[in-house]
Amino acid sequence: MYGLEAIAHNNGWTIALTGACIVFAGLSLLSFTISQLHKVVALLDRPPKPHIDVVVEEKAEVPARPDCPTDINLTVQLYLPLVAELDPEFELADLYALARKYHLPHPHLSIRCLHDAGKLQPLGDGVFRFVA
Amino acid sequence: MDLVLQFLHNTGFYLADYRNLIMIVVGSFFVYLAIHKNYEPLLLRPIGFGVILGNIPFFKGFGIGIYEANSVLHYLYFGVTSGVYPSIIFLGLGAMTDFSFLLANPKLMLLGAAAQMGIFFTYLCALGLGFTAPEASSIGIIGGADGPTSIFLPAKLAPHLIGPIAIAAYSYMALIPIIQPPIMLLLTSREERLIRMPEMREVSRREIIIFPVVGMVLCTFLAPASIPLLGPFFFGNILKESGVVDRLANTARNAIIDTATILVGLTVGASTQGDVFLNAKSVGIFALGAVAFSIATASGILFGKFMNLFLKEKINPLLGAAGVSAVPGSAREVHMMGQREDRTNFLLMHAVACNSSGVIGSAVCAGILWSFLIG
Repeated sequence: MYGLEAIAHNNGWTIALTGACIVFAGLSLLSFTISQLHKVVALLDRPPKPHIDVVVEEKAEVPARPDCPTDINLTVQLYLPLVAELDPEFELADLYALARKYHLPHPHLSIRCLHDAGKLQPLGDGVFRFVA
Repeated sequence: MDLVLQFLHNTGFYLADYRNLIMIVVGSFFVYLAIHKNYEPLLLRPIGFGVILGNIPFFKGFGIGIYEANSVLHYLYFGVTSGVYPSIIFLGLGAMTDFSFLLANPKLMLLGAAAQMGIFFTYLCALGLGFTAPEASSIGIIGGADGPTSIFLPAKLAPHLIGPIAIAAYSYMALIPIIQPPIMLLLTSREERLIRMPEMREVSRREIIIFPVVGMVLCTFLAPASIPLLGPFFFGNILKESGVVDRLANTARNAIIDTATILVGLTVGASTQGDVFLNAKSVGIFALGAVAFSIATASGILFGKFMNLFLKEKINPLLGAAGVSAVPGSAREVHMMGQREDRTNFLLMHAVACNSSGVIGSAVCAGILWSFLIG
């Protein structure tokens, strides 16, 4: 038997077509799989969270500011530069504003201490003079 | 005097048949091609010498010839008829193959699939010429352009045709520099041959190691009959890529594959005894082998052109010719053809990717044909 008759008799068309389709489908599937492989691997290859040793810098010791201006001499030292910026006769509100500007601790209490210690001499009409 | 006459009657000079002499000339021609022209010397030299060896006339019945039980050649030939040598060669091939080019550009695998159409076309042609279905399948596999596969499938389906099929397959593989270029020129325009392929991305080591496992599982699930070929192939590859068993990988890609190649070449050559080999069927197989190679090359190229209809980034259709699994001859030919048009166009790595795909494709085809006809 020869020719098309032989091909048909041996189921040739079906075998050839099916075989070709299977090979194509198989290699296409493999091709698709390996095209996605790097994405899967990227998940596995995600770099581990870096372990960083945090070195705590030792801060230079800052002399503790008086919590409460009980040490009147220290308070005077702190406020002298501020008074120098003001006129010789000034209002307490101006001194308070400067203390806030330079972030001095509890300015209200400190000014009161200075006043009680007689370092702020009242001149009347809410005006004061600093007495060293 | 009788003793002398008896001795003379037993010599090759007395027993020589014209068919033996023809085959000795053919074998000598193969040896000449291998040594002088350097055409696939690793294959043609053992085959050519085997052809000469197998056609030395001898007194039959003494257990000398390859087809006689208990002869040494018969035992060596058992590796061919049982399909052992092809599996061993695939192990070595796997240990040599670098899949990173294929992993970098997976769509090139489709060209390897397309080039297998030569197998099925030749299968139909062989049926039309009157071969039986198992014979036609065995002849068709020549289109895969893969030597071990061309031995493996006939060993399973048509053992009496191993000799002519293997000789045809290896001969045409050696003749790739003559067969493929005219087809490439005929089917592609100069503009197409000038297409440059994009630079390949870097493939991670993990991808390269995972691929043999994924590839083997997918392919052998699809065509379990291809296990004897693809199993050792991917095993060899993972030996190479894992990097932890270099000794085994080196042995597989050197000593083991070399030993198997020598024995395959010699015994397949020796199986071409003139009285068995020289017949109309062998002539038909050689003619069909040429058809198979040509159609495989053409279908790969045409599919490359077809893909370009849909791809934004065009591929060079010459690469389709490397979809046949003749490693590395067809890849080299594609590269040279590309360079003939533009010396700065380097297609070799991309062609090797198609080649690797072709090896897998032809083994899957062998598995499919075997499973169709095994019943």
